[in-house]
Parts: sequence; C-alpha cells; structure tokens
Amino acid sequence: MAALWAALAGIVNSEGRTPMMREHGTLIVWPSLIAAGLLAAACSDQPNVNMAPQKPNFWASPPPAQCPTGKWTGGGRIDPPSNPDQELDETSGGQPPRYSPPSPLNGKVTFGFNVFLGQDADGNCIVNKGEIEVNGHALKLAWHVSIHNGINSFDGRPVFANEFSDGHPGGVCLVVGVPDRPPPTGFMTARVNPGDGREIVQFEVCDNDRGGRQNTRSDAMRWRTEGHGDTGLTYLTGGNVVEHGS
Amino acid sequence: MNSKSMHWVNRLAAIGLVVGLVAGVTAAGSAQSVGGQAYSTYVNTPLGTSGQSPLAVLPAVSGTDGAEADAEGSALNVAGAMSGDFLNSITSGEIGPAEAGAQSTSSAASVNILNGLITADEVVANVMSSAGQSGAFSDAAGSTVTNLTVAGQSFSGDQAVAPNTNISLPGVGYVVLNEQIPSGDGVTSSGLSVNMIHVYLQSLVGGIPNPLTGQSLGGTLQTTGEIIVGSATSSVGP
Repeated sequence: MAALWAALAGIVNSEGRTPMMREHGTLIVWPSLIAAGLLAAACSDQPNVNMAPQKPNFWASPPPAQCPTGKWTGGGRIDPPSNPDQELDETSGGQPPRYSPPSPLNGKVTFGFNVFLGQDADGNCIVNKGEIEVNGHALKLAWHVSIHNGINSFDGRPVFANEFSDGHPGGVCLVVGVPDRPPPTGFMTARVNPGDGREIVQFEVCDNDRGGRQNTRSDAMRWRTEGHGDTGLTYLTGGNVVEHGS
Repeated sequence: MNSKSMHWVNRLAAIGLVVGLVAGVTAAGSAQSVGGQAYSTYVNTPLGTSGQSPLAVLPAVSGTDGAEADAEGSALNVAGAMSGDFLNSITSGEIGPAEAGAQSTSSAASVNILNGLITADEVVANVMSSAGQSGAFSDAAGSTVTNLTVAGQSFSGDQAVAPNTNISLPGVGYVVLNEQIPSGDGVTSSGLSVNMIHVYLQSLVGGIPNPLTGQSLGGTLQTTGEIIVGSATSSVGP
C-alpha cells in the first residue's frame, strides 16, 4: 500500500499546475466600428489567475475559467483501450503516462459528473462541490465521489484539483484528486459498489471542443484507481465534457 | 459640448450598440434550459410490473450552473418478464455563456426478457444534446447492445443497432431496437430519447372466433404491455 502510494504520488507532478495563459486585449482599430465593438466585447486584460468571480463573456470560444471559479459538467462513455488520447493530451499538466498504476482498466466505462472549483486558505485549487459517478462495466463496479462544502463525503478530506491546457488548440483539462499533500491525504476516496467499499481514485476530463460543435469526439476522460487499474486518457465514444465558465 | 466630446460620445454609443447586438446574438444561440433523465428498466406486463429503475432525473439548472444525478441498482427480476443486473443511470447538464447541454446514460447487464425470447450481455443507452452558436443538436453515439439475441436471431459483439429497428415477435408483439424519439427545432432547441430495447406486447381485441379454424376474425391488435431496457433522454431549449 505504501509503495503504491509512493508510486502514485511520484508520477503526478503537482508542479504541473501551470495556470492557463490568457490572451491580452487587442487595440481598438478606428474607424472599423464593428471590429471595435467585437474586440471591446471579446478582449480582456485579466491576469493569469483570476481570484474574483468571472463575468460571462461572448467569445465563440471563451477563455477557460480557472480556479477558484471553474465549473465543469459532462458525461458519456469511453471504451479503453480503443480511441486513446495518448499522444496529444495524456501527459499534459504533469499527468503520468498510462498505465499508472500499471494494470489497464479496459472495456466500457460510463460516467457523469459536475464539479465546481474553489480555493483553500493556502491558495490551493480545491473542489467546492462535486458529484462523480463512474461505472466500469467489465468489472461491474460503480464508483462514486461526493463533495460538499469542500469536503469529500467518503473520507472527510478536501479534494484538490488542477486545470491546465492540453495539446488540442483551445483544449483544457481538469484533474480531480491531485496529490498536493503527502500520503495518505492526497488523491481522493470513492465509494465502490457493490459492497459499499472505498478506493483511492483520480478523475480527469478534457474539453477539446470548447465553443464549437460538441460532437467532435475530441473530449476525453481518464479514471485511475488504486486497485482496479487505469483507463488512460481516452476519447469519448459518446457524450460530452463541458467547461462552462465561472 | 464641443465637437471632440461629441465625437467620443458617438463612438461610445456606437460601440455599445454593437456590443449589445453581439451579446444578443450570442445569447440567442445559447440554450436557457436543459433536461435529462435515464433509467435502466421499465416493466409493465400482465406478468408483473416494475417502474422506471434506477431512475436519475436532472435537477433544475439555471444561470451558468450545472448538475448531475445518478442512481445505482443491483439487480432486477420480474418473474417471466425481465431480469438483469448492474443497473446504472446517470444524467448531467450545464448552462454556460457560450453553450449549454445535457447528457444521459443508462445501462443493464445480463438482460433476459420473456424467458429468453430476447437476451443481451449488456445494453447501454447514451445520448447528448447541445446548443451553441452552431445551433442545437442531439445524438445517441455510444448506444450499443452486446451479444443480442432476438427470437433466435443473433447480433454478436458490441453493436450500434440501426435506429428504430423493428422486429416482429410472433404471438407476442414486436420489439423496437434503438428506438429514437427526437424533439426540438434544431436551431434553438433539440432533444432525443433513446430506448435501446422496447418490447410492445400485443393482443388481438374484438375479434370473432372462426368456428371452423379457431382463428380470430377481425379485431385489432392492441398494446397490452411493454418492457424497456436502457432508456436515456437529453434536451436543450430556449
């Protein structure tokens, strides 16, 4: 157990929590009034890490919300090892290559989630509230994570998160259950049914079609478990992952 | 007010007008409501009944918000009608500044309907709806049945059956595989309900028995029961 923890903690680089780069405002060009209006509506000079709640803007592909204000929702299906998102995105943000832990978690995996990010007193990115349901069909196991007021219902601890850009233009990923602290308080605990068991897990999703048509099958999901393996980052067979602002 | 001031007032007013128009167009392209639900099984037959189970219904979502609901069930057995296990349902939805959507999935394993008339190793219904600047649409990608048999007809492997595949079940009724029920205008609204296996039980009502053959003359077929395995619904609207 301790060795596995050490391995898990070592392969996820918490230093990889690089904030998203925001595009800076562009000069208004007179007399092109329409262009000026569009630019005025679209551009901002906000810093990289915005500590205040962000107002909606009207970009076709808006800049991603960041901790502490990001909101993510989605669900669908992956079929690892088919459709791996291995080369473009898997190791973005300091995430380890598959399979970490070593055994693959293959077969149909369906999921749904809703995660709202926040910040703790030390400035760490945490999950304020969230529900994550993952069903591993080959194993007939159902995992669930439930977070309320910043606390995981299944272990009474905060859950740390990380947002970062990936290899897709405009793509952004979220990892829930980042090992910011030394074991045994890193990652997060999920309930496992049947049997009401507990397992250490990590959840990752990527929204790679932000602002565009949502059936591109470029969104991806990854589920890492302490005892049942790792799906690897895998493109969705169906469904959608949406980073929907602040 | 001098001409320079007027010049800036006009400029600001024009910019404000354009910004307002852009905001209005964008808002029109983003849905203001989302909906979703999923359930693994529904049985309503003379042999026995079971409501939509396990049922997950998306809570109300407003503003730039999101929500998720899920339900887990272990196994279901309505004697003679339907049995299955690993029953799970999930639905989620979100409204953002540029796009809104909902997605639902349900599943059932070891499915046995009407004492082996229909069997499947696994059934997954998966739908999503989305609305944004490119319009509103829904799809059922990821909806499959695994090793399905229907009245002796086999569909091996994990298959995405063609939408609304209708197969007769002589003496029983018929089954619709991958039954898809769309809704919305495709511009500001869209929705889709998928029932992966929908059995319609039918009986002849009102006929007169032929004294020579014993067969019924006339009458109409009426649906007397139904069984649904793998149902998922999602929608977005103005």
